[in-house]
Amino acid sequence: MIPTTSPATVTRTQPLAAGPEDRSALPPPLLLFEQVSKWYGTVLALNQVTLALDGGITGLVGANGAGKSTLLRLANGQLRPTLGRVTVRGIDAWDWHARRLVGYCPDIDSFYEDLSGRRFVWVMARLCGYSRAEATRRTEAVLERVGMRDRADRKLRGYSKGMRQRVKIAQALLHDPELLILDEPLSGIDPVGRQELLTLFQELAARGKCLLISSHELEVLEKLTNHVVIMARGRVAAVGTLQQIRDLLDDFPVSVRVEVADPRGLARLLLGLPEVVGVEVEPKGSAGAVVLRARHPKRFFAAFGQLVLNERLEVRRLEPLDESTHAILGYVLGGSGKT
Amino acid sequence: MAARTDDLLRYRPWRGQPRGPLHAAVALARMSLRVLLRQRLLWGLFGLGLLVFSFFFYAQYLVVWITNQLGTETVRFAGIPVTVTNLTKFLDRLNLNGTAHTFGNFIWFQGYVLVIVLALAGSVLVGNDFAHGSLPYYLSKPIGRRHYLLGKCLAVGTLINVFVTVPAVVLWVEAGLLFDWETYYLNNVDLLLGVFGYGTVLTVTLSLLVVATAIWVRRTVPMVMVWMGIFAFLRMLGEQLARELETPAWRLLDLWNSLYLCGLWCLGVDHETIRPVPQPRFWQAWLAVAGVSVACLLYLRRRIQAVEIVQ
Repeated sequence: MIPTTSPATVTRTQPLAAGPEDRSALPPPLLLFEQVSKWYGTVLALNQVTLALDGGITGLVGANGAGKSTLLRLANGQLRPTLGRVTVRGIDAWDWHARRLVGYCPDIDSFYEDLSGRRFVWVMARLCGYSRAEATRRTEAVLERVGMRDRADRKLRGYSKGMRQRVKIAQALLHDPELLILDEPLSGIDPVGRQELLTLFQELAARGKCLLISSHELEVLEKLTNHVVIMARGRVAAVGTLQQIRDLLDDFPVSVRVEVADPRGLARLLLGLPEVVGVEVEPKGSAGAVVLRARHPKRFFAAFGQLVLNERLEVRRLEPLDESTHAILGYVLGGSGKT
Repeated sequence: MAARTDDLLRYRPWRGQPRGPLHAAVALARMSLRVLLRQRLLWGLFGLGLLVFSFFFYAQYLVVWITNQLGTETVRFAGIPVTVTNLTKFLDRLNLNGTAHTFGNFIWFQGYVLVIVLALAGSVLVGNDFAHGSLPYYLSKPIGRRHYLLGKCLAVGTLINVFVTVPAVVLWVEAGLLFDWETYYLNNVDLLLGVFGYGTVLTVTLSLLVVATAIWVRRTVPMVMVWMGIFAFLRMLGEQLARELETPAWRLLDLWNSLYLCGLWCLGVDHETIRPVPQPRFWQAWLAVAGVSVACLLYLRRRIQAVEIVQ
C-alpha cells in the first residue's frame, strides 16, 4: 500500500490546507467518496475508499477485479455503497437528482439493436427530461461532436465497435454534465478517431468539466492526464500525479538515463553518491549515456544537480525511465504493471 | 435544479427546464412499445387477438340480428328445417347480448392471446435490459429505479388495454347501437365503468407480474415456461383440486380465474351466475389478486434496493 499525497484524499482544485472557515465557504466537491465500502455477498469489492475529485481529467487504473468498475458505478449511482457515502456536489449519488450532473459511458455496448444510433441518442435525451424539439437539437449536436452525424441513421446492429463507442460517448454528453465518467471510452476506436476523442476530452476538461476515465490503455491515458487513481484489491492504492506517486516510492530505485560526453567519468562520480545503487554505461556506438538506479529520488536529484555544478558536467539529456503509468502501476501493484 | 446554459454543444443556449422523471417514464414506455412493435411475432398475436374480437363483434351483431329479424322463421339447414334461433344456440354460452357476461367472456377468451403477448413483451421489454446489460444506460439518466419500473409497467399496461379494455369498450358501444341506444347507454354506464375497472385490475396485476417475472427469468423461453406454469399448470391443478376436494378456494391458484372474478365483481355480476361452478367468493379472489400484486411489488422493491444490475 502506497501512502497518498494526503490521507487517501486528493482534491485537485481545492486546497486541502484550507482552514475550517474557508472550507465551509467552498462548495461541496464534485465527486466525493467518504469511507466507502461495497460488499457483493461475502466479497469485498471496495474497501474504505475516500476520494474527492473536482475538475480536470483523472485516470482510473488497476488490475482486473481491483474495484474500478464498482467505483465508477457507485459514482454514477448505479450501485449503493454498503458503508460510507458517495456524493455529487453534496447530493447523494443514489438520488436521481445527482445524475443531472453526471454523464456515464459504460463499457458494455448492448442496445436495442433495431434502433438507429440517432433514435437511441434521442431517446436518451428524452430520458434526460428534454422536450422533443430540444432532444432533437441536442441529439444532433452531440452526434456532430463525436463525428457520427452522417452515420447515425443506420441501425445499431450494423455498427462497428468504434461507432458504438462514439454513440455511447454521445449519449453521455447529452445533458452537458459536470462530471463525465467514461469506462474504457477508447476501446475499439481507430487511431484518427482516437485522436479526435482525446481532443474532445481535453476540450471538455479545459471547459471545467471533470472526467474520470477508466482505461487499460495506459499509454493513451498518459496522453490525456498524469493524474491517476490506482486501485488494488478494492482499495485506492495511490492518488495523485505520476510524479507525486513516483516520489513516494522510496523502496523502488528510480531509473534515470543521462546523456553526457564522458559516460565513464560520470559513472565514476555517480558511484560516489550514497543514493546511487547501480550504474550502467551504455555500450559504444550509442549516444554516450549512463543508466543509473538511485534510491530516494528527491535526495538523489538534489545531489546530482550539485554534482553537475561542481564538476561542470555537460548533460545533454536526462530522462527518467520509470515514471510512466505502466512502470508506476507495476511498482504499486507489485507486478508487471499489466492491467 | 436550474438548467445551465451549456456551451459544450455549441448551439444557442437553452433556457428551458428539464422535465421530471415521470415524464422520462412516459418516454421510456413509448420507446419500449416502439421496440415491441418491431417484433413480427407480436403482430401475429395482434392478428389473433383481432380475430377473437372480430368473433365477438360479429357474433353479437348476428345474434341480435337473427333474434330481431328472423326470430320466428324456419330455414332448411342441410335439408332439415331448423328454427333460426336454434342456429345460434351454440353462442348462448357466450352471452352475446351486451350484458356484463358478454364483456367478462370476451376478456376471458382474449386472455389466452394476452398471456402469450405478455410473455413475449416481458422478455423483450424488461428481460433484454437485464440479460444484455443495457440497463445502465437508462439508470445513468436522471431517473430513479422506480421510474424505470413505472415506464416498463406503463408499456405493459398499454399493451393490456389495447388487447382487452379498448375492444371491450367497442363491444359496449356496439351493443348500444344494436339495442335501443339511448336506454342502453344510460342504463349500462355501470357496465362501461366495470369494463374500465376490469381493465385496471388486469393492468395493475399483470404489469407488475410481467415486470417481476421478466426481471427474474429474463429470457423468452424461461419466461414462457413460467407463464405457462402460472396460467396453464396452476389452472389445471386448481380445477382438479377444487373438484376432488370440493373446495372452491383451490381455484384461487388460477390467477386468470381470480382476475376474472374480480372483473365480474367490477361488472356487477351476481356470484351465482358465474360458471364453471363452484367458484371462490369475490373477496377471496380480491385477496388472491392483491397477494400476487403485493408479492410482485415486494420482489421489485427488493431488486430496486439491491440493484446489482451487473452480475
